[in-house]
Amino acid sequence: MIAIAGYRLLQAGLVALMIGALTFVLVHSLPGDMAYRIAAGRYGYDLVDTAAAEAVRRELGLDQPAILAFGAWLWDLLRFELGVSLVSGVPVVEEIRHQLGHSVELALVAIFLSLLIGPPIGILAGLRPGSLFDRIVFLVSIGLRALPQFVIGLLLIYLVSVWAGLLPAAGHGGTRHGILPALTLALGLAAVSSRVARDATLAVTASAYYRFGRTKGLSPGETFRRHGLRNVSVPVLTYLGVQLVYLVEGVVVVETLFAWPGIGHALVHAIVARDVPMIQGTALVMGLMFVLLNAAVDLICHLIDPRRKEA
Amino acid sequence: MKRTVPTLAAAVLAAVLALPSLPFSAAAEDRPLTVVAPWEIKGLDPAVTGYAFTRMEAAETFVEVDEEGLPIPALARSWEVSEEGRLWRFELRPEVRFHDGTPLTAEAVVQALTVAQGKPGVLDKAPIEAIEAEGDGHVVIRLSEPFSPLLAFLAHTSAQILAPASYAADGSVQEIIGTGPYRVTAVEPPQRLLLERFDDYWGEAPAIARTVFLAAGRGETRTLLAESGDAQIVFNLDPASVQRLARNESLEVVAVPLPRVVTLKVNAALEPLADPRARQALSLAIDRAGIAAALLRQPEVAATQLFPPGMGAWHDAALPPLTRDLDAAEALLAELGWQPGADGILEREGARFAVTLRTYPDRPELPLLATALEDQLREIGVEVTIAIGNSGDIPAGHQDGTLELGLIARNFSLVPDPLGTLLQDFGPEGGDWGAMNWSDEGLTNAMEALLGSADPAGAEAERRRITSVLQEDLPVIPVVWYLQTAAISRGLEGASVDPFERSYRLSRMRWAP
Amino acid sequence: MTGLVETAPLRGGSGGTAARRLRPARVVGLLLLAALALFALAVPLLVEGSPTRQNLMQTLQAPGGGHLLGTDHLGRDMALRLAGAIRVSLGIALVTTAFGALLGVGLGILAGARGGLVDRLLSALADMVLALPGLLLVLLLVAIAPGAFWPLYLGISLVLWIEYFRMARAAAIRISASPAVEASRLLGFGPLYLLRRHYWPEIAPMILTVAAFGSATAILSVAALGFVNVGVRPPTPELGQMMIELLPYYYEAPLALALPILVVFLLVLSLNLIAGGKTR
Repeated sequence: MIAIAGYRLLQAGLVALMIGALTFVLVHSLPGDMAYRIAAGRYGYDLVDTAAAEAVRRELGLDQPAILAFGAWLWDLLRFELGVSLVSGVPVVEEIRHQLGHSVELALVAIFLSLLIGPPIGILAGLRPGSLFDRIVFLVSIGLRALPQFVIGLLLIYLVSVWAGLLPAAGHGGTRHGILPALTLALGLAAVSSRVARDATLAVTASAYYRFGRTKGLSPGETFRRHGLRNVSVPVLTYLGVQLVYLVEGVVVVETLFAWPGIGHALVHAIVARDVPMIQGTALVMGLMFVLLNAAVDLICHLIDPRRKEA
Repeated sequence: MKRTVPTLAAAVLAAVLALPSLPFSAAAEDRPLTVVAPWEIKGLDPAVTGYAFTRMEAAETFVEVDEEGLPIPALARSWEVSEEGRLWRFELRPEVRFHDGTPLTAEAVVQALTVAQGKPGVLDKAPIEAIEAEGDGHVVIRLSEPFSPLLAFLAHTSAQILAPASYAADGSVQEIIGTGPYRVTAVEPPQRLLLERFDDYWGEAPAIARTVFLAAGRGETRTLLAESGDAQIVFNLDPASVQRLARNESLEVVAVPLPRVVTLKVNAALEPLADPRARQALSLAIDRAGIAAALLRQPEVAATQLFPPGMGAWHDAALPPLTRDLDAAEALLAELGWQPGADGILEREGARFAVTLRTYPDRPELPLLATALEDQLREIGVEVTIAIGNSGDIPAGHQDGTLELGLIARNFSLVPDPLGTLLQDFGPEGGDWGAMNWSDEGLTNAMEALLGSADPAGAEAERRRITSVLQEDLPVIPVVWYLQTAAISRGLEGASVDPFERSYRLSRMRWAP
Repeated sequence: MTGLVETAPLRGGSGGTAARRLRPARVVGLLLLAALALFALAVPLLVEGSPTRQNLMQTLQAPGGGHLLGTDHLGRDMALRLAGAIRVSLGIALVTTAFGALLGVGLGILAGARGGLVDRLLSALADMVLALPGLLLVLLLVAIAPGAFWPLYLGISLVLWIEYFRMARAAAIRISASPAVEASRLLGFGPLYLLRRHYWPEIAPMILTVAAFGSATAILSVAALGFVNVGVRPPTPELGQMMIELLPYYYEAPLALALPILVVFLLVLSLNLIAGGKTR
């Protein structure tokens, strides 16, 4: 257990360093004058001009040689000083706090919904392999994973919001606004977790200990509850860890589509506007969040599956 | 297990759907008026996001403008000019209060204007020597030279008047405390702004008590918000949605001409583009009618000259219009020595007629128009490579000389009097968003004459000179004009659209009974 | 060694290598992919014109009258554009898969066979790269050279190689421990022989599965990039960009929008089916 935590901590540190260095190098080697881009991001295309860019250049000391800038940045990073957004002037930490909350909200609801939808359907399919239900689930899940996320999102918007008028189409203002974006992400996740659950169920029900339970005289339900559930949940949760990549990347697209003010949305804007501190901040947060979620998954797996304690 | 999961799911779903959503659970009269536009809120600085606060009528400017763009009194009740146009004396409107209860004083105005002058915006481009308070009720602005567009500059949103308490010691804005009929209750960058009626407003109190501004970047999202009724006013409809929304019975779609033009900014120092005939050839190849009808769904915006009819005195109906004539274009280019090469692209002395067109995606129609232009120019043998980047690339490219062609959406009434913008764009050194490596003495003289003049007839002649030079020499090639489109709920009365995009005029609206 | 999340591929249904290869799902997938590739190659040869030629008088036309699948919002022939877009997508898929496979399999076998410090270092590296949101990496690279292809190739390859690495490493660990390899080693055979005789035959078939998934991921990633406005330079046809461009017209010309969506769907579906019907 300590080993897990220690390893993840080390990983988090290395991730932070790597992301920071990478964003710094990439952004400073971007073509185009940084001052102009930042000024355009700040003042808009009607007001951006040389005077504005020069003002930005002076204010931010952009004519320092890169080595000095890198050194200064490295020092700041070590002190958790993430700086101030070059576009809005608000400290990066504050901006991220707002946005992170929104993204985490979205991610957690998406994970929750996907666990609600996916594994149960997968288990049902696994208990009846080869049946019509199983095949339909297979087709649907493969179909969902073949569609880009924004297409799923658009379909949902069109069906639920415009045609049925049940939920708002975009924006952020109440619980109702969060359902469609979360569902968009959840459906993709559920497609995979249902497959994993199905395969796991199949493997478990075919195993010796499971059959022994039935031989003992336990009813199907009891057998499943006692011997099946826990064994099925291990691969499902493990795969959830793998899927977090899909989630984190999906957040970028879904937030743009639904005008959800989260980290993904902020990241895209920051890249376009060359807001280096924001790029670094959002990338860092996304990376660390990923490590954290993986650590959580590791922990839960560890708790559920005693065999892992030996590993 | 098999039974509990579906039940649980159903319960959660039912609970969630039953949750009241803010706008819908409030009483009918209390519900907020929601306005949707593409522009995000980037902070509190008037130089950066000022337009949000003036459009939602939380902050006001010293001087306002009327329907024709002429200055009218606002926080300044009257003004007089003396010393041959170098001294302006403004009388403050009495009994005006800021949202925090403090009175509007000359000191407060001076502070606000001075802070605005120190930031990128418009005031820093006016030849202002000093801004001083004279007693409690007067403000004096001293200029280094006469500047007739001063009033228009003072009407720009970056010069909005905020209370002294809004500013921190370093001039940054901590809070928006203005004088407008609505008071800011919450700012949630990048998307939402919440306001409520200010009861101590100096003018007529608005009928609608609460308003909301929501930023939605994608056109389809805005359309959906209009259709679902989640927003009552939606701006910048994308061309494809306009017809559909117009058929919607609960909405009214309006189109208002704007003093904004899509132009091709040309680097006149570039070999192939140096001769005005080359620029004319490019202009003759553009299918403006096709673009206006098929892409923008607004046939009337095909530009015949730089200034649209909505710009009144600047639009010269007598000018020979810009047209499409491929044969004439090819003839002009042949005259200049260009011959088609093997792949159809023109060549001259071993050089190809190949240019890079820069544009930006902030206005979604620009990349689309760039794609259309690329094909149209290829028809006369010009090879265009499209580079979609950041809007800052245009002024950057102007400064370092790397810009070849730029497709931009130029706002000629950045301040209500276009002369201010023209001075920036077509002066002797050109401008970041205007002419590049091009100038014309006659035009420069005409603009200077206009700066100092007060004679309408003389002004007319100078304007004609300016527009005809621009039409013939084409330092920037006009492509299409702009029509601002908006979908307005029929549940609103008294709605109108400001052609200068300065205000959403929510204070003049009321809910239909 | 914890760190890499190891999941043994779960096999459901039929067993046996031969039966797996001929599973109907796989065949359907291959046929579908072949059909799409055929479409992409044949259409430009059979249809007049170019995918970038516009006709503003004939925008959003329904199929017919000289345009097999109608025209888009700029009057360009949809069939030609789709063919071009499929070529772009398959091209990206091919390059990123090849590059990712080369890197990933190579390093994976190295890590799995050598073990020890080499393995730990490489695994840590893989973990770290995995922590970097793939889309972020590609976004930044694309920002360096907007509209070019190489950032897409590089970025997506860097994201994909990890799958190959994991798969190859897990297999290599297993293979290294097998008695056959031990015997070969004791007999004095060098690493190249071991590679050719023991590792490669086992790993090669698994590459197909990962490659199919990787290609699907690559295609979807590029489409997503088009959505956030950092795709390839216009007027190059690309599926994601076509979707975004035609999106506003979904009401009046749903077919035009449906076509690129359908093509992406079929492409990715076929690749998933080829991979053996496992979703990821």
